[in-house]
Amino acid sequence: MNRAAFVRAVKGGLLGGVGVIYFALVGMIERLDTLSIVGSVELSWLLILGPPFIAAYVLARPRVEAGEMRSASASRALWSGGIVGLVSWGLVAIGVGLVQWIGIDTVRSVFRSVSPTLIQILTLHHPVWPGILYLAPIVVLGALAGGALPLLPRRVRRPIITASGVVLLLGLLQQLVPPALDQLHIQRNWLYSNVTLGLSWIGAIVAFAVTFAITWFLQDRSLRDLVAGGPGARDRPGAEARVRTVLLVGWLALGAVLLAMPYLVGPVVARDLGFVGIYLLLGLGLNIVVGYAGLLDLGYVAFFSVGAYTTAVLTGGQLNTYKGLAAPILGAHLNFFLAIPIVVLVAALIGVAIGAPVLRLRGDYLAIVTLGFGEIARVIFGSTWAKNLFGGSAGMTHITDAAIGGYSFRTELHFYYLALGFCALAAFVSWRLQGSRIGRAWNAMREDEQVAEAMGISTIRYKLLAFAMGGAVGSLGGALFAVSIGSLTIASFTIFVSITALAIIILGGMGSIPGVVVGALILIGLPGVLTPLQDYQLLIYGAVLIVIMILRPQGLVPNVRRSRELHEEEVQQDAWMRPVEEGEVPVARGIEA
Amino acid sequence: MSPALLELQGVTKRFGGLAALGGLDLQVDDGEIVSVIGPNGAGKSTMFNVITGLYAPDGGNVVFRGLSLVGRPPNQIVKLGIARTFQTVHLFPNMTVLENAMVGQHSRTKGRVLATIVRTPGVREEERVIRQRATEALDFFGARLSGYRQDQPAFVLSYANRRRLEIARALATQPQLLLLDEPTAGMNPTETLELRDHIKRIRDQLGVTVLVIEHDMRVVKGVSDRVIACDYGRKISEGTYDEVASDERVIEAYLGRRHEEIG
Repeated sequence: MNRAAFVRAVKGGLLGGVGVIYFALVGMIERLDTLSIVGSVELSWLLILGPPFIAAYVLARPRVEAGEMRSASASRALWSGGIVGLVSWGLVAIGVGLVQWIGIDTVRSVFRSVSPTLIQILTLHHPVWPGILYLAPIVVLGALAGGALPLLPRRVRRPIITASGVVLLLGLLQQLVPPALDQLHIQRNWLYSNVTLGLSWIGAIVAFAVTFAITWFLQDRSLRDLVAGGPGARDRPGAEARVRTVLLVGWLALGAVLLAMPYLVGPVVARDLGFVGIYLLLGLGLNIVVGYAGLLDLGYVAFFSVGAYTTAVLTGGQLNTYKGLAAPILGAHLNFFLAIPIVVLVAALIGVAIGAPVLRLRGDYLAIVTLGFGEIARVIFGSTWAKNLFGGSAGMTHITDAAIGGYSFRTELHFYYLALGFCALAAFVSWRLQGSRIGRAWNAMREDEQVAEAMGISTIRYKLLAFAMGGAVGSLGGALFAVSIGSLTIASFTIFVSITALAIIILGGMGSIPGVVVGALILIGLPGVLTPLQDYQLLIYGAVLIVIMILRPQGLVPNVRRSRELHEEEVQQDAWMRPVEEGEVPVARGIEA
Repeated sequence: MSPALLELQGVTKRFGGLAALGGLDLQVDDGEIVSVIGPNGAGKSTMFNVITGLYAPDGGNVVFRGLSLVGRPPNQIVKLGIARTFQTVHLFPNMTVLENAMVGQHSRTKGRVLATIVRTPGVREEERVIRQRATEALDFFGARLSGYRQDQPAFVLSYANRRRLEIARALATQPQLLLLDEPTAGMNPTETLELRDHIKRIRDQLGVTVLVIEHDMRVVKGVSDRVIACDYGRKISEGTYDEVASDERVIEAYLGRRHEEIG
């Protein structure tokens, strides 16, 4: 291990330690200590071991050096893992020592979260000395695991990651899965402990083993081949029909699960899922603009508010005025489902109106301008100038429930179905567009706008189309939002909506419909069922975005092409350093070379 | 005499104080293969960018099949029947080889939004046609771009295959006139000669008129019906390969004048 690698490992360790201390100071470690994941291992341990683990993992990952991917040797990866662990622990130990030396009450007057409980967690409920020493092997082991992970062959590594993820998820969903299993009359005492409420050790091991086995079996095989009856069987007669049948059965099963969901998880979670649906619509819409067409839109909340306010005005929403309720000018009393086509149309037109002035802008400039448009929308809807239409800062209320012949959609269960229907529609539209001539044109435009134009694609037309389609889908989310609570104020349409929608597609994977679903479930759904996390929602968004961008920029469930793009850029950045092989011509960029 | 397929009439294009094109006149007849040669900076690629609408000319006119191209956006010009390749390869690197060629079919198809979402029989048929024509365009290069390669992302292709794919993508637009910008640049001698034959086949088999910028004189000599030499954005010589190659002005443009002639 050379000096440079040593220095890098120490730096990594320092970063890991700072991460742990940060989590401690914001109070997350203590807060999440009440939440058991497996046995008596609490979620707080994820925060204590996570930063050193990630630091060691990043150090041991294959890295791009001089235009080539190079992996670290086993000894170097493990050594740097060990050093990372020790340094991280050292930093935490120094912190604990300082608190002891200064006196916990003095520290607490500044850092509110430094409590005796926190110190107890970090010293494993032993006296501070030697308790802090007991933490060392645990942190070092965590960092060693992070360093060892990239060393494992891909065939082993991927099932391990997936299985660990599933165990963690099952642990996190402890308020969700047990009641569902009870509803189905499935014995679940072996899986979840009644004492800690988290997974039992046996349950965790079984869940890990099962997921590991399934992932191991499925990897590098296409499901299509398996269904058709073995590799290469795809072309045999009848194989295509069989694949189609299995796909159909799969979709029907998924549909049945989704339909039964509210009865399995209860009304509270069903309401959360309905809320996930609203953001899923925003994610799907933004995915068209950003993921497909490559136009970074930071003002997406504009479409959310357009959808919500248009719905409110059209379905008989009332203005809050100081004299009481008043009908908005231009107001109508349409049924929700009659209003929706108009809402979608209005949003598409607004999309074109926003798109038209920014046609020539790209990248950062486009992002800034759209950011401005998002704010403009908020200001207009909240302005006194448009008070007779949208109610100004007091907002609107009495928005009629979306109802078909007396069947109300405002109860949790029914709203879930409404959201499900809208999401299914939006996902279907996205899917059809993605695989079509239109999707190809967007793709080409995203990869190289000028060349796309020179190949016959009207980039003006397709940019406007992306804004229109994205706006239309996003407005569905706004419409749902309006009828879900029946009243609107401008406070709901801040830039955080745009940021959340963007975070969803970044986490899930840009351009990937399953990715958007996963992103919405994790970012919106998980805090809903994990009450201790709610206080830290924005912090978690930020952390998730940073970690994803560094470790997996293509997202959790990536679109194949998108992940190619990111990987390619990474290699190309350093490609000039690679010695040019004989007969090879370096590929430059720029049309006028 | 029938009017020319493409005609440049006194086209000028300035970048700041530099006149990349200084009143260029040029004519391409239907069914010809015309080569444009000239030293670096002679304005050859600028000419292509003006013809295809990437640059607006400062003066003069570009006429294709009797229609002026000036002021039309590039995508319209493709639709009228002019396709091009670029001096440096510009593929859509993360799309598959087949998808790259399918993009070429864009201007020949409609694909309305609502019909696409519903996937009407018309849309399905159109998609089938797009796929078929794209495959045909790829098959033009024999096995080079066919078979398993169709589903590979374009960036894994070898350099020569990227060049070929760019031509195939241009052919997939079903052009009447194909503009090739240094198609053999960076290719080895075997590949260069192979491509020379392909250029001939583009005209002979597909009936596409070709205007090609080329530095490799074996290719220029082998394919050209007519050669046009440019320098400083002007035509300095025109004729058969032998005529142009022995023209003093051309030799001067490439090599400069003898010292005693200047003195």
